[in-house]
Amino acid sequence: MLEVKDLAVSHKKKLAIKNLSFKVADGEILGFIGADGAGKSSALNAIAGVIKFDGEILYNEFSYKSPKEAQKVKHDIGYMPQGIGLVLYKTLTIKEHLDFFTDIRDIKIDREFLEYKNHLLSMAGLEKFLERRAGDLSGGMMQKLSLVCTMLHRPKLLILDEPTTGVDPLSRIELWEILQQSAKEFNTISIISTAYMGEASKMDNILLFDEGEIIARGNSEQLIEEIKPFVYDKIETDKKHITISDTTYCLENLENQHQKPTLESLFFVNALKKDRLLPKLQIAKSKESIDKNVVVMKATKITKKFGDFYANRDVDCELKSGEILGLLGANGAGKTTFIKMLLGLLPLDGGELELFDKKIKNSDDRNKLKSQIGYVSQHFALYDDMTVRENMMFFASIHKIETLKAIKLIDNYSKELGFEKYLDEMPKSLPLGINQRFSLAVSILHEPKVLFLDEPTSGVDAIARAQFWELLKELKNKRGISILITTHYMSEAEFCDRVVLLKDGEKIADDRVENFYKKFPDAKSFEEIFLEYFR
Amino acid sequence: MKIFLTILLKELVSFFRSFGLVILVIYFFTAEVYVAANGMEIEAKNVAVGVVDKSAGGMSKKILSNLHSPEFQTPKFYKSQKELSDAIYNKDIMVGMIFDEQFEKNYYKNLNPTINILIDSTTASQSLMAIGYIQNILMKFNNLKLPVALKMHKLFNQNADTGLFMGVSELLSVITLLTTILTAIAFVKEKESGTWDIMLLMPVNPKIIILAKSLSQIIIIMLGVTISVGLILFQSLDVPINGNLLNFFILTFFYVATTAGIGLFIAAVSKNIMQISQLSIVIMMPIIFLSGAWTPIYAMHPLLQYISAITPLSYYIEGCESIFFRGTEFIDLLPYFGGVLILGVILYWYGFRKIGKLF
Repeated sequence: MLEVKDLAVSHKKKLAIKNLSFKVADGEILGFIGADGAGKSSALNAIAGVIKFDGEILYNEFSYKSPKEAQKVKHDIGYMPQGIGLVLYKTLTIKEHLDFFTDIRDIKIDREFLEYKNHLLSMAGLEKFLERRAGDLSGGMMQKLSLVCTMLHRPKLLILDEPTTGVDPLSRIELWEILQQSAKEFNTISIISTAYMGEASKMDNILLFDEGEIIARGNSEQLIEEIKPFVYDKIETDKKHITISDTTYCLENLENQHQKPTLESLFFVNALKKDRLLPKLQIAKSKESIDKNVVVMKATKITKKFGDFYANRDVDCELKSGEILGLLGANGAGKTTFIKMLLGLLPLDGGELELFDKKIKNSDDRNKLKSQIGYVSQHFALYDDMTVRENMMFFASIHKIETLKAIKLIDNYSKELGFEKYLDEMPKSLPLGINQRFSLAVSILHEPKVLFLDEPTSGVDAIARAQFWELLKELKNKRGISILITTHYMSEAEFCDRVVLLKDGEKIADDRVENFYKKFPDAKSFEEIFLEYFR
Repeated sequence: MKIFLTILLKELVSFFRSFGLVILVIYFFTAEVYVAANGMEIEAKNVAVGVVDKSAGGMSKKILSNLHSPEFQTPKFYKSQKELSDAIYNKDIMVGMIFDEQFEKNYYKNLNPTINILIDSTTASQSLMAIGYIQNILMKFNNLKLPVALKMHKLFNQNADTGLFMGVSELLSVITLLTTILTAIAFVKEKESGTWDIMLLMPVNPKIIILAKSLSQIIIIMLGVTISVGLILFQSLDVPINGNLLNFFILTFFYVATTAGIGLFIAAVSKNIMQISQLSIVIMMPIIFLSGAWTPIYAMHPLLQYISAITPLSYYIEGCESIFFRGTEFIDLLPYFGGVLILGVILYWYGFRKIGKLF
């Protein structure tokens, strides 16, 4: 039994988590769900006894209030930090990892242990790859190996920080199978955080995190049941509401059809309850006419090799004007490499590339097109030591936009994208959602015809993500900008016009979104559709 | 041109906003130079002397009265040779002098009087200097009629104050190290934070980016040099300026551009700031040691002398010392300008090409 009483964690005087109390029974899987920075990791770290915290944690008969006191329960804890393969050593083989973790935990090697070890290995499906080095494993296999190493000393309390983030859908299901089986067989307490709402149904109990607080708790059916009355089909209303995509959230009664809520809906209802209404984001229509169905980018058999390893192999891809193309895949599937080759940041090792009907052969061909391309890199990299306004002025000036026009543009965009309050702050101090929109504004300052976005929604909370997709649609409809976007959230496929699915550097699916549903009429979600391609 | 200025301004703004870096640069240009000038002492100064005097005491007192500050501390007296050698062993004193019973008698009888001297040679140069001084003092008491009289004229640095040279040398070394590191950081910081890709995608000629970025760092260094020369060299250390200060600044500008070239090279091959610091030390230390900053070039092994001829710092140091101390005219400085310029063009061109390939 684990009981947490009034847990609070602060980083540099800023409260990361406050007044957290909950109980978990043996054999139970407790899930932490929430965006980056909502306090999930802080809570997990505190329970694992690796950071300082206030409050009290009771584990069976032990009570601890500090990392030092937690020492006595450490042999019962299995802790896996956030990040793929973080506990692994790239140059060691799977077998060497197991031996190392056995030795470092000082585990007695007897028949019972060997049986247990082999059981774990077969659950993870790793027994055939004992001689393979960790550096050569896929992201999913790395996470499975990390989990096996974490469970080697038979922990009674498993603390896993986002073990499935960025892992391909099939491996995610396999990871969950291991977790569910071990909870049942060994009666372990598991506390698992995740960024995927879809995994909630596999948890016995869920704590929903938002800004360091728990906004809802219960199992997934209970949670969805609770908010049912607030979720409607899209409708115009004067009452306080949030409308996103084809759903309207309102706390008061509306004369409209109810919609079946999802777990994401919880965040919108919570925002309404806390009176955090969303700013209306709109982009002015461009005066130029928009011609559709022109091929903007055409890649044929694009290949990239790093040593013996193919990061991309014979990938074909086409982007038409006024289209949102989603490039989906797990971490390490080759999404970023692909986008970097399209942008010319990495040379092609094979294949051909056409941009705006011109074959790209050398850097001169590219330089002519640079002003037509916009790019938002992973983690929104902009200059950290300049304010938002200065950053925007800098890029405007680089793109030879006149100063007066630039000031006007910045003014417009900051209002349209809802970050005018933050214009004179440093990018680092901004919430990720604001950073995301400000990076988008920077990338469209020079009115490009095509926009490349590398994982812009990763780590951003559900509301900001939904808003961001709305914005992209606006850009597409009102400006006719073609958009190529990468993401590891399979569920985001529904916002795209067309989807290209990558696995281990190769294309495994490429179709319009509606066609996917036609092909798999029984599938409930895109997660399930794509799973078929990974099998 | 507007783009060039925009990038230049952006680099300056981001430098002055990174508090740690500003403090580091200020420290190197002020405290570091000052400490090197005052802390590194090659001359004997403040030497502790111990004495065992078994003689009658008249003559020995006369001799000892010549051991005074700033070179020597007031001598301490010990009862026996044992106590004296213990004191040296314990590092209480550096030089021990023993006057035996016969000393005074022998002195007046011209019977080769001897003073035994014990010396702690772990501080080799200081103790040798101290012996030199003591010998000089004893010369006065020798009744020898020297056939040749030495009359010394110290040129350029009348007090033979090594601190001045040390200060200038250190400043030149600081310029060398900081220029490479700052230039390299200006580029690699972007690699680390991921803005490098964005920079590559801007519709700007890469040459403009490289020039603007390196010029911004050159400006920062020149500012630092101005502060250091004004505040530390002239104000605190009282370094003379016998030549034209403008020549110094022009020469420095060329030299800084040269080192910026090395910085560009380092930036091209480093992935992060850690690698910059390792590489700059590996590359710059030999340049500094071989340049004649700490040892005159003519005292080196012949092979090393050839190598030092291709380090830009050696020309720069000679040039600067000529300007500060010798007051050399511009026309006679031309070899130094030439050396720095030729090597500078080669190094900057090489670094420029190397980093240009990344674009």
